[in-house]
Amino acid sequence: MKSLTPAAFRSNFLTALGTLLLMVASFLLQPSLLGKPGPAPQQVEKLKASAIQLERSGVSDDLLIPEDTRVAMYENVILQLNKTKKFQHVYRSGDRTADSVPDLVRLRVTPQAFKAGSQKQREVTTVTGATSIKVNVQFISKDGKVLREKVVEGKVRFYGENLRATYDLAKKVAAAVNETF
Amino acid sequence: MRTRSAQFSPGVWSKQRKIVWRLLLVSAIGMVFVATAASVHSHPVAASQASQSNSIPHVKCVIGLENIKPNAKGTLSLTPSGLEFSTGKNKADISTASIQDIFTGQESRQDDSGPAGTLAKAGIPYGGGRIVSLFSHNVEVLTVEYVDSNGAFHGTVFVLSPGKATELKNKLVAQGAKVNNHVQPPPQEQKP
Repeated sequence: MKSLTPAAFRSNFLTALGTLLLMVASFLLQPSLLGKPGPAPQQVEKLKASAIQLERSGVSDDLLIPEDTRVAMYENVILQLNKTKKFQHVYRSGDRTADSVPDLVRLRVTPQAFKAGSQKQREVTTVTGATSIKVNVQFISKDGKVLREKVVEGKVRFYGENLRATYDLAKKVAAAVNETF
Repeated sequence: MRTRSAQFSPGVWSKQRKIVWRLLLVSAIGMVFVATAASVHSHPVAASQASQSNSIPHVKCVIGLENIKPNAKGTLSLTPSGLEFSTGKNKADISTASIQDIFTGQESRQDDSGPAGTLAKAGIPYGGGRIVSLFSHNVEVLTVEYVDSNGAFHGTVFVLSPGKATELKNKLVAQGAKVNNHVQPPPQEQKP
């Protein structure tokens, strides 16, 4: 091994020291460590409503979704909305008694993308055949104004029937409701 | 007197043990296949017995009926007033007049689905569970959309043996249930 001359050793040592000092300085000068607040997470005010009504998603010619998937999605969302216990009443689409509730919020779940997977393919390969459904969730006031909006995706990746994607989706919609109310 | 087995060396014993373990493994896998095949062949027998009446046993209600838990199994009956699903403990009705639409569809389901089937497959060594996953049977899905007395929309999904959903749909239509013309999406389980 070739031995370093004192001058070369000093040069290498100074370079390494400089790099180390720069790393320490950049770490210490982070805004949060200096006591200065960084960009604060957006504090979104929560909505209040005594009742919610789930609207039925419309049928689109561009996006063909099997009707059992559509129905399972609707019913799973109703089940999960009841489980949140955020509302005194969860109304179904078309329920006439919801019209008398003054602070009713409507929940519109519009499918944006759907991929019909295969249970057999999932279980044999474990990496392909996932079923997924992506929806746009909108909370709408009684006068039709969109209060909040979010895109969520339900999936079944490994084990389980295709309809389990609607259960996963409904859980995520319920999480969005918990964030919003 | 020395017995013959006492003359075996330890190497011979370990070979015999290996053979016994292999035989046990092969017979266990064989039993899984036999059980799977038996469950597949038992469905048409039950279905043929049920076709004589308006009651269909071994129907799975995936979701959508009041007082019935999701994925409950029971008997789906056609009554003069509509559909009735009974699990033994609980019962739910859908009147023909309240039905807004009926859909049927073909699907393929794994023979050993559910948590028990998944555990059993995971327990089979050398990836044998994946081979068991290749075995599936066709089912028919019946989706019934209806409204209650307040006009609220409900939907129910049933899983029946092949042919039963179409038969039931035709009987409900004959009773006066509404059915619309639909654009059918491609079947979900056509991939190899």
